[in-house]
Amino acid sequence: MNSGLLRKKIKRDRALYLMLLPVLIYYIVWHYIPMWGARIAFQDFKYIGTNEWVGFKHFKMLFSSPVFLRVFLNTITISAMKIGFFFPLPIILAFLFNEIRSSGYRKIIQSVIYLPHFLSWVVIAGIFISLLSSPLGVVNQIITFFGGEPVSFMTSTRHIRWIFVVSETWRSIGWDSILYIAAINGIAPELYDAATVDGANRLQQARHITLPSILPTIITVFILNMGFFMNAGFDQVFNMMNDAVINKVDIIDTYVYRVGLTKGNFSLGTAAGLFKGVIGIFLILGTDRLSRKTSGEGVW
Amino acid sequence: MDKRKAGIGHWVVVVTLFVLAVVMVYPLYNQLVISLTGPEYITQADGTTLIPRGFTLSTYTSVLAIPKVYWGLLNSLFITAAGLVVNILLTSIGAYVLIKRNLVGRGFFMIMIVITMIFEGGLIPDYFLMRDLHLLNTYASVILFKAVNPYYLIIMMRFFDQVPKSMLEAARLDGYGDVRILFKIVLPVSVAGIATISLFYGVFHWNEYFRAMIYLSSEHKWPLQVILRELIISMEKASFIGSTNFLQSTGAAAIEFKALKASLIILAIVPILLFYPFVLRYFVKGRLQGAVKE
Repeated sequence: MNSGLLRKKIKRDRALYLMLLPVLIYYIVWHYIPMWGARIAFQDFKYIGTNEWVGFKHFKMLFSSPVFLRVFLNTITISAMKIGFFFPLPIILAFLFNEIRSSGYRKIIQSVIYLPHFLSWVVIAGIFISLLSSPLGVVNQIITFFGGEPVSFMTSTRHIRWIFVVSETWRSIGWDSILYIAAINGIAPELYDAATVDGANRLQQARHITLPSILPTIITVFILNMGFFMNAGFDQVFNMMNDAVINKVDIIDTYVYRVGLTKGNFSLGTAAGLFKGVIGIFLILGTDRLSRKTSGEGVW
Repeated sequence: MDKRKAGIGHWVVVVTLFVLAVVMVYPLYNQLVISLTGPEYITQADGTTLIPRGFTLSTYTSVLAIPKVYWGLLNSLFITAAGLVVNILLTSIGAYVLIKRNLVGRGFFMIMIVITMIFEGGLIPDYFLMRDLHLLNTYASVILFKAVNPYYLIIMMRFFDQVPKSMLEAARLDGYGDVRILFKIVLPVSVAGIATISLFYGVFHWNEYFRAMIYLSSEHKWPLQVILRELIISMEKASFIGSTNFLQSTGAAAIEFKALKASLIILAIVPILLFYPFVLRYFVKGRLQGAVKE
């Protein structure tokens, strides 16, 4: 394309560029300026005067800090627990829905199960603190009914991470099953008819038809989740944490808020956030490549 | 029609799903019960109470009379409404321009937007940006936060792509410019698209608390979620309702902590429930159209 033609095209579309301008300004100001602003991770923040460049000083401080090491391990552990224990549940739920033949019953149950996804983590934290409170929450009522001792769950270092897994399940099991339900609905009914003729029961059909058919979806979603592995769930942890369990649940994002913003260690906090962000980029680009290889479809 | 036989396995599944649905609803229902229990029975109300004894709406009337609660509600409504106007306007304009396949620079713009999906400056640079723009402690800081979500932009592009090209060409022959085509032709036939992203953005704004918490220092600008969080974290009523209420023994001072908390939780959920039928209709489709993570 010669430059005259190019200029002509740009001139022809000048109204479009003008329309796009506010959107571009939004992205530049709200996203690209903070990216440039993240350079204070490599500087000493000064309240008065200009910041001084210090290279990797804050990163060295982070990596030699036992607190940050713990925070890093907490992030990985909580994320891994969620993937390990929560990930299969929406798939199982989709299988169960597939067994329901009354579409009315199915719809009602689905509408109910999707609901928690739309509640804020502030609300969910409030609800779980009530549910798990000792001794009057419903869980402890059940425990004492069967002769057990009430447990103060929210302040128990042994239980708090499992509470994350359970509350994540409560919030997301329905919503995350949608993709699998759609994949199951896409399976040709003839496959089941043929299997029925061959005498396969429902369990065998689920194992030999449904599962292989939705395996690509499962793999894609799994890979996608790995891309966001460093997000252990800021809002959840932030609203459910307390001083009694902080050592078990403090993750990178809550560390950035606490150390960076509330204690004013802006450079150190930004360095921690940047470290997480860079790992995130590699994970997402890596999983995108993996996804393209396995399913021919990228993350985007 | 399904000709499978209803064996025992089928009924196990039916019952399992029913139990799961109860597990989803019961915690919310329990909060509702506690918020409706009369003051004389509230100390006995716990996690297993199924029916509000001494049914009363007095908790709500007292709670809604606390200034920070009704301001919180109004702030939430205002931020959500104003945010939606900005979101829909910018997202529609962006989507309309970016579906033009032969626009010079389109690929560059798309990459520029997609990059923001995988990398961000972070919390502290965001905070400094608000400070430098003099937006700290203004409603604008929370209204403009995530003004154009790339996932929703892409959803809107898919909706706009379905508008028949012949309609656009006819409009252009009539002398319509791009702005008029967008607002007079494309948007009116993309009601489902507008509904979808409005619900996505609406739920986001209504549930947002963190940016409001760090950007807004004046308590009277806080949305309901921040107010609720303060109550849950502090676990204490006296400081929440304020000394004036407390000393004058107003209705707010008489409410049990758990009833206060339960009623705030229900207030924070009600708008979601009101829109839930629409949410179900459009969210599920939206999810399948690619908003995988949001």
